[in-house]
Amino acid sequence: MESLSPNALEVAQLIVETLNLEDISAEEIEPDTPLFRDGLGLDSIDALELSLGIKQKYGIQLKADDENITEIFSSLSRLTRFIQDNR
Amino acid sequence: MGALRLILWIALHLGRSAARTLLYPITLYFLVTASTQRRASRDYLNQVLDRPANPLDTARHIHTFSATILDRVFLMADRYDYFALEIHNHKLIAEQLAAGRGCILLGSHLGSFEILRATAIVKRELPVKILMYPRHNEMMMRILSELNPALNDSIIPLGQPDTLIRTKECISQGSIIGLLGDRIADSGKTVNCRFLGKETLFPQGPMLLASILKSPVFLFFGIYRGGNHYEIRIEHFADEVVLERERRDESIRIWTQRYADRLQHHARLAPYNWFNFYDFWGSDEASD
Repeated sequence: MESLSPNALEVAQLIVETLNLEDISAEEIEPDTPLFRDGLGLDSIDALELSLGIKQKYGIQLKADDENITEIFSSLSRLTRFIQDNR
Repeated sequence: MGALRLILWIALHLGRSAARTLLYPITLYFLVTASTQRRASRDYLNQVLDRPANPLDTARHIHTFSATILDRVFLMADRYDYFALEIHNHKLIAEQLAAGRGCILLGSHLGSFEILRATAIVKRELPVKILMYPRHNEMMMRILSELNPALNDSIIPLGQPDTLIRTKECISQGSIIGLLGDRIADSGKTVNCRFLGKETLFPQGPMLLASILKSPVFLFFGIYRGGNHYEIRIEHFADEVVLERERRDESIRIWTQRYADRLQHHARLAPYNWFNFYDFWGSDEASD
């Protein structure tokens, strides 16, 4: 398993902490695994909590009409890139 | 598809009375052919009526359901003039909206949730958005959105990563968000509650959503009373759903059970308005 970049690891920690994930640690999240459904198995409640966590930690407000949220939440690396681009 | 289009054509061209005469053959058709639904109806009626249900009960159940489905056509086509609405406790919602606060309106498959649209328009409160799965009733929805393209604007499709982010935005802009709390989704989290004397699963989603958004929750029951009469009951449920961090699962269960209790209360008052025509207690699988 390739190790995560420091930025990706930070976002992975945010995901694990915000969603109280018990079965997986931040280091174990693969950069390209889908976060929703088949991959990490997150649902739309998790997406809402994650968006609130992102706002709190990075001050970035995700807006449903402005951004393609499905795409941003498609993987850890995509989400990390979005946060880097917007912080 | 052809039959549905025919019924729609009759409904929209010949009117509600003409279309309602079709309800008898439609009821008979389902009574004869839909054995799974018939069994689900009987099992539910046995529970709610506290006596063995007879075929007439089941016929009445299916007829009530068919009548409200037909009325959905008129509601979605904005033909509110057909209906007599008796609205209880509407002021609860009006106060929220006057204060510029959005809220959650939690409904069920007891009665017609679609009548909410009529209620909102009759009361001149347009900011209603309904959370629903687009793939359910896909055929019906496609036909109806041809009929009334504005319909799509009032629906937030469930099951997308951005579903609830969109919902949050709508609530913070002062919208009423309608959702149904009695059916579990394919993948969502569930909680065990008692309903009509037996344990069954309810979705956790509504209470999780309410707790995250910290928005007030009202219950909505749009009960069909026969003829063109709908009785709409709005109840205060919570100013804020607070889940205790230490015993989160138990908190979710207690809140959801409160909802299930209100649902049961209204189901007993209007037993034939129950529109979950499947094994609600999942005992088919459990007993295998």
